[in-house]
Amino acid sequence: MTQMMTIEPATTHATRHATGRPKIEVRNLDFHYGTSRALKDISLSLPERSVTAFIGPSGCGKSTLLRVFNRIYELYPGQKASGEVLLDGVNILDRKQDLNLLRAKIGMVFQKPTPFPMTIYENIAFGVRLYEKLTKAELDGRVEDALRRAALWDEVKDKLDASGLSLSGGQQQRLCIARTVAVQPEVILLDEPASALDPLSTAKIEELIEELQADYTIVIVTHNMQQAARVSSRTAFMYLGELIEFDRTEKIFTSPREKRTQDYITGRFG
Amino acid sequence: MSSASSLHGRRKAKNAVMMTLCAGAAGVGLAWLALILGALVYKGLAGLSLSVFTEMTPPPGAAGGLLNAIAGSVAMTIIAVAVGTPVGVLAGTYMAEYGRFSRLSTVGRFINDILLSAPSIIIGLFVYELMVRPMGHFSALAGAAALAILVIPVVVRTTEDMLNLVPNALREAGTAIGAPRWVVIRSVAYRAALSGIVTGILLAIARISGETAPLLFTALNNQFWSSNLNAPMASLPVTIFQFALSPYEEWQQLAWTGALIITFAVLALSIVARVLAGRGESR
Repeated sequence: MTQMMTIEPATTHATRHATGRPKIEVRNLDFHYGTSRALKDISLSLPERSVTAFIGPSGCGKSTLLRVFNRIYELYPGQKASGEVLLDGVNILDRKQDLNLLRAKIGMVFQKPTPFPMTIYENIAFGVRLYEKLTKAELDGRVEDALRRAALWDEVKDKLDASGLSLSGGQQQRLCIARTVAVQPEVILLDEPASALDPLSTAKIEELIEELQADYTIVIVTHNMQQAARVSSRTAFMYLGELIEFDRTEKIFTSPREKRTQDYITGRFG
Repeated sequence: MSSASSLHGRRKAKNAVMMTLCAGAAGVGLAWLALILGALVYKGLAGLSLSVFTEMTPPPGAAGGLLNAIAGSVAMTIIAVAVGTPVGVLAGTYMAEYGRFSRLSTVGRFINDILLSAPSIIIGLFVYELMVRPMGHFSALAGAAALAILVIPVVVRTTEDMLNLVPNALREAGTAIGAPRWVVIRSVAYRAALSGIVTGILLAIARISGETAPLLFTALNNQFWSSNLNAPMASLPVTIFQFALSPYEEWQQLAWTGALIITFAVLALSIVARVLAGRGESR
């Protein structure tokens, strides 16, 4: 897929941080669930410290593509990716790639909030302890910092020992983001992070994405096209396992090259 | 209009009949349970005194208690649970986590279901052949082994079921943060399934605490206090069996009291299991 360079000036805040250096490069990626081919020869390049959105109708492969980036699909038998996915130039699909290290660099937040069945504090400390031996004070600092970054600190600072499951859905999702940030990844994958949340919580998550892109490369899968338009600087439109169009978000939403993209964003199908 | 109301009337009548039948069936079932419990409490309470818990089983015609039988039951149950629980939990973990999609799990699940419904007397005979005959004598160890074999399938089943209830999203979340598989299982899946797994263990204890047949072939019985695991040991069910069949009135009374003790111990365990399970759900 050729990547169209546009000369339109960056108009949204979302594009301000994009440096353009590719963080993740996908080359000729195919994905199979058993014998069915879910991704067909995908190639695209995600710039560092920016937000890229994947949109498309259900079953188009956008979540599948996201799940290749941290190889979480390997939890299940019969799922297989071929081609190349380069993270800073290193192919992460290589068999020699250490999966735990990969997942330390590439964090993920899921559609439904998934707090672990432990305290709010432990939810965050859990991931940190996997990689680092910190003193109690250092760990406390990391937990507070992560909760602040996820805009949750003020709401939970007095009940860090309460169960993570006692929070509201929106708070749980921000806890999951805090948990991901605490590990200090380079890339954050968001798989429809707000689709189970009310509008207010959604707005908070979007604000958060806006702030996080200063330090992280963010990839978000969303069903909500307004959301893609609001938060991302680049958008990829996928359909039936193919990447139809990938461009600057304002281009995709104002003057897409492909008719199928146009039809989808104007609500003619999907 | 009139046909509609007569249709409605017929439906109401049918509903009344159906409801009466269901309520009646429930009533019959509960009545038997109430009768059994009533008889047990009535007959058992008469013999309940401190001496039941402080004195040994008496010779025929003398007064005594059930101390050695209670202690024997407790000792063999503890050993059986200590041996059976780790095996059961680990096997259940394999089937629900590591081997979720493997053939070995399917086969293991099938065999486990058979073991779960196998008559306990068969387990007793099996351990008799395996341990009692080669050793040349009955022993508490053989009794505990038979009970452990009964514990395993119950724990395997509940552990697997409870781990299967843990949403995959939680496992994915643990994996996505970079936790190795065993850490995800230990820190996330076990925690989420803990109350269910503990409930399974309690149910297994409830199941074995009333078992008589497997103990008849293995631990046999002992009239006296014994802390030797390599020798026959008394247990409540076997003592009840022996005393209830005897012609001696004191023994029969002790049998009723023993039955009462077992029943209420199991009842208490079930209540604890329910409370734990309920707490797990409400979280």
